[in-house]
Amino acid sequence: MTIFKELNWVLVFIWASLTAFGLVAIYSATLGPVSQFLPAFIQENFMRQLTWVALAIVIIGAIQFTSPRTFQGASYLLYGFATFLMIITVFFGTEVSGSRSWLRLGPINLQVAELMKLATILAAANYLTSRRDISAENLKTAFTALLFFIVPVILLILQNETGVAIIFLALLPFVLFWSGLPHGISLLMISPAIIAYFSVIDWQYGLIAAIVFTFSIFFVQRRHWLTATSLIVGLMTVIGTEVALHQVLQPHQTARIEAFVNPNLDPQGSGWNIIQATTAIGSGGLTGKGFMEGTQTQLRFLPEQWTDFIFCVVGEEFGFIGAGSIMILFLLLFFRLINMATHHKHPYAQLVMVSVAAVFFIHFTINIASATAIMPVIGLPLPFISYGGSAFLINSILLGICLNFDLYKRSFSIYS
Amino acid sequence: MSPTRKRDIKSSARILQAFILLIWIVMFGRLIQLQIVDYEKYAPISKQNFIRQDFVNPARGLILDRNGTIIVENEPIYSITINPVSFDMSKIPLLAKLLNTTEEDVLDRVTQAQQYSWFRTSRLFTEVSFESFSNIQENIWQLPGIGHQIESKRHYPLPLQASHTIGYLREASLEEYRSSDRIRLGDKIGKSGIEMVYEEYLRGELGTKYNRVNAYGQALGLYEDSNLNNSPTKGLDIITTLDAELQVLSERIMENKRGGLVALDPQTGEILSMVSTPQYDLSRLAGRLDSDYWAQINFNPNTPLFNRAISSRQPPGSTFKPFMGLIGLHLGLITRDTEIYNSGAYYRGRAYGDLADPGDYNLERAITKSSNTFFFWMMDRIATRGYLNQWSELAKDFGMGRRNFIDLPHETVGIMPDSTYMNSTFGERRWGIGDLMSLGIGQGMVSVSPLQMAVATASIANGGFRVQPHIVRGIREMDGSINYTDPIRERIDWIREDHLQIVQSGMRGAVTDGGGRWYANLPDIPVAGKTGTSQNPHGENHGWYIAYAPLDDPKIAIAVLIENAGFGSISASPIASLVIEQYLKGEIERQHVLEYVLNFNPWEDIPEDSDTEESAAEEVLDEMEAQP
Repeated sequence: MTIFKELNWVLVFIWASLTAFGLVAIYSATLGPVSQFLPAFIQENFMRQLTWVALAIVIIGAIQFTSPRTFQGASYLLYGFATFLMIITVFFGTEVSGSRSWLRLGPINLQVAELMKLATILAAANYLTSRRDISAENLKTAFTALLFFIVPVILLILQNETGVAIIFLALLPFVLFWSGLPHGISLLMISPAIIAYFSVIDWQYGLIAAIVFTFSIFFVQRRHWLTATSLIVGLMTVIGTEVALHQVLQPHQTARIEAFVNPNLDPQGSGWNIIQATTAIGSGGLTGKGFMEGTQTQLRFLPEQWTDFIFCVVGEEFGFIGAGSIMILFLLLFFRLINMATHHKHPYAQLVMVSVAAVFFIHFTINIASATAIMPVIGLPLPFISYGGSAFLINSILLGICLNFDLYKRSFSIYS
Repeated sequence: MSPTRKRDIKSSARILQAFILLIWIVMFGRLIQLQIVDYEKYAPISKQNFIRQDFVNPARGLILDRNGTIIVENEPIYSITINPVSFDMSKIPLLAKLLNTTEEDVLDRVTQAQQYSWFRTSRLFTEVSFESFSNIQENIWQLPGIGHQIESKRHYPLPLQASHTIGYLREASLEEYRSSDRIRLGDKIGKSGIEMVYEEYLRGELGTKYNRVNAYGQALGLYEDSNLNNSPTKGLDIITTLDAELQVLSERIMENKRGGLVALDPQTGEILSMVSTPQYDLSRLAGRLDSDYWAQINFNPNTPLFNRAISSRQPPGSTFKPFMGLIGLHLGLITRDTEIYNSGAYYRGRAYGDLADPGDYNLERAITKSSNTFFFWMMDRIATRGYLNQWSELAKDFGMGRRNFIDLPHETVGIMPDSTYMNSTFGERRWGIGDLMSLGIGQGMVSVSPLQMAVATASIANGGFRVQPHIVRGIREMDGSINYTDPIRERIDWIREDHLQIVQSGMRGAVTDGGGRWYANLPDIPVAGKTGTSQNPHGENHGWYIAYAPLDDPKIAIAVLIENAGFGSISASPIASLVIEQYLKGEIERQHVLEYVLNFNPWEDIPEDSDTEESAAEEVLDEMEAQP
């Protein structure tokens, strides 16, 4: 009864709303009026997802009856286990469209990287909250923590899953920032990604970004060595991006990366996804075309519309009202999780909550920015919305753990 | 204390939230831009994306003979298509088995299709047999990505070619596509013959349908607003004047020869049969282009694409004499009874030879025996009295040296020289009587097509009317009614009935006693005709023959030209006589003539040392009879 009363129902509501949106969108994308043209296994996606949702509800419920210490205690064990599975996957995984990231366990296919995500969050949080000596002068702990992220990144690259590897790399600055990494160094950590992004659009923008970052870092933390490093890193990023785009990468790879800037240069090739995605969202207008009425969706102009481009399905069929609602729900989710962290006494719980918020935020940003042609297409699912059992389950577990920490925030404290 | 302790948790949270909010606002702004600001831009794009305007080709009209027998119809061609993205590569062996080909072949074509486009449908196999097509259809459920396309091609059910008359279809050129809103790129349109001239009628109206398609171009059914869809209108059927049975025969007997044949109804100008040989095989030009065959007929030295029946022009030789006679009578140079003595040659500056027996000739006898002297004498008068231009005009009234406006392309005008023509050919006053004398016997500058000779012969047969030769009798409208063509038929006002009778009996005599007596005379049908030999400075002479029958109520007029075949009496006249026999009696009774014609090969059979028509013909006949 206590659990029922104390549970963070706002978070549950957000989870349920996003899940419902996802189910509706998956249904529309895979069981629409002309779905007979889709392969049979895709038409079964909706029922499979429904099963995963049911399973997730049970597991989220079960988590609430677990002691929060269990997660902290099992952190390293889980990390070891997940790493072991990742290694196994590198060698014995099922290959799906060029990447070997699925492990077949009896009847179910598990995306081990999802479990790795959970394990890394818990393990890194456990490590970082057991040390309290991160500073600009002493970065040893920060470097050690880095290892928790580097291992999965390497394994994911071996699995040819660079998209997912980006999640781990992007998560790192959030985790270290919350653990006390000075602001200047935190800024320095995120700067290459943002400078590279602007460099892809135009190297001059990249240069401007590099200069802006250097000034910001100088302003935040007046240390000359840091400012110098920032400038060097910034310039190296601009040059590196240019060299990578025009010397290292194959022209078609470059075209794929640069396509979001001007998709009409190659409308049948690299620009196709971007044109179709923006057309789907744009043609949805304010109110959308209606459930299962989206022509872009129903007629399969969008590739992978039940996973990576699911936001387009919502945008087309439910318009700005639907797509905007999803964005607002996510914003509420991020803010809620961070607020929950600030109100928690236990640093481990705080860091896990922030990490979970960060993981969702990274997924959210990459997925929606790809679909709306703000950045190059990186195929990552939208949490709770996209089809995919492993991801849905692990995301739900992440949220379930945060609910658990919140539920037991009085009993789970540093003092007990 | 470590920095963690120094820093307030709350401020960290605020910084984090501010960062998240900043990025969130950028993305939310982008959503507003796409869905609210640019909605007007994207809505039409998505509409165009999924509605595809497909054209439905109409069935091309049929071409029928005068009795309603189908000469040209349509035949479906089945093509197997592939959509590489949905195709399952493991089905290649099955596909190979169904199509009765090798797996390598299928793999090769699939790879090609993939290279063309992964998403667009392309043809995998074109013109597969109906059997293969049915095999595929039965197994279509296990062949994802495989589809079909049914197009049609022309089919010629009868054993007749009439290649020049019917004509072939080819893909429309860029200019043709631009000049007509009814032609699309890739459409096949008539490029010669009836197919070209009556393209507008045969073509029909293109239908359109609006399909909903997915990104792979798969049609998912008709767009709801079916008012936009309209079904194609079948092309109209063309009823020709050809007699299919007669055409079969005339093609058979013209085979292995080079020349033209035109047989028409002298009363109406309806073309009963028209042949130009060598022909080409229309069925090999239907369907997908057989480029080897196309090159072969284009570069063949015997120019099979050239329509000799209406485009070739040769001096008419002695077949011109009956018309010369009518002109002479009209000009008052001669009368029925004018007699000219033939001494074996006509002297005017030099000797103009005459192979006819020496003696006195009136017009009738001059035509019958084909005496040259009579006509040299007449031409001499025409030239010296300055009648040349008048002569030319009168000859043109018969349809020679002018267009007759047949409804087929490439009709030659021919040459009927007048002073202007002579001036432009030889230069002002640089020509004289010597250049004009041979015109009197249809040699020299004058040149005509078989069609023109047939039209001219019809004028003698029908009592002095000029008919417009035509190949199309009528167009069958959608409601089944026939819209008949309205050809011109007008009296040549200067031709007098009594004059005609002289010429007619001269031509009758030519068949019974003259050059036509060996092959041209039919036992129970009175035929009037005239042989001719057109002098060819470049090689063996060309044989001519004109005729009509029956004498009293002409139903057929014919002109035949056989190139490099020597005298008309042995080359052209037997052919014409067989056509007349077939048309008027419905069968060939004179099997020996048929056999002679079928075995007559101009490049072998011409006796080298023969110098008169008679001896040549008799030699050939002897040879024929000598053979068991």
